[in-house]
Amino acid sequence: MSAGLVSVLFVGAALVTTGVFVAAWKRDLTAALAGLPLIFGGAGVAFAGVSRFAATGGPPLFGQGMAALLAVVALALVALGVGIAGRGTPR
Amino acid sequence: MDSLHAIGFYVSAAISVGGGLALAFLPGRGSRGVALAVAGLGIAGLYLSLSAGFAGLVALVCFAGCALLLAAPHYRVIDAAVGGAWRQAGAVAAAGLFALLAYAAWRGDFFHALYYSGDIGSASIGRLLFAHDALTTEAVGALVLAALAGATAMWRGRGRGR
Repeated sequence: MSAGLVSVLFVGAALVTTGVFVAAWKRDLTAALAGLPLIFGGAGVAFAGVSRFAATGGPPLFGQGMAALLAVVALALVALGVGIAGRGTPR
Repeated sequence: MDSLHAIGFYVSAAISVGGGLALAFLPGRGSRGVALAVAGLGIAGLYLSLSAGFAGLVALVCFAGCALLLAAPHYRVIDAAVGGAWRQAGAVAAAGLFALLAYAAWRGDFFHALYYSGDIGSASIGRLLFAHDALTTEAVGALVLAALAGATAMWRGRGRGR
């Protein structure tokens, strides 16, 4: 059993699409924010996969660094979105 | 990639996508938070199987933070003004996007290279972030600080207004 660049890109595409689906499907806009980490996570998986399997033109660890930064940006965006939504009654 | 890493990769992929789908369909904040944490666990496993353990650790912490934020009982529910037809159109558009990205992934196996780093690679990542890409790292740090400060200020301001 093996996994190559195509498998990694396929899984990254599935994660991005799942995040887009979550963002489109949720009625509650604040809950739809949960799609953002999935979108950024899928992009990060694609970056890490390219860095692992096919990076010769740039720094070999650029994809991994980009994946870590994307995770932090996703957390920041969710925090900002929840802060903009403000407090309310639980449901 | 050897068989052990490949098995870990596919199991983590199933966990992350399954957690994402559960996130879409599960009701309630607590269950959504758990589903997001499970998806984050899967994504961290994906990074680890791709020899990007440092990125996996960062992703695990960030997904745990997102899960805690979205599972909290205090945020306000904002219902979307669009109807069910638009949501279904969005789901179909997501399926179309997946088909497009899957085709691009299928056509993406055009280049191979050797990999020189270790399983975790924290020292190499540190050198990359703080030596080669120091400005980018500082920009993202400033973005995170501004986002968290803005979120805190809005949260406190709206709570004081009631």
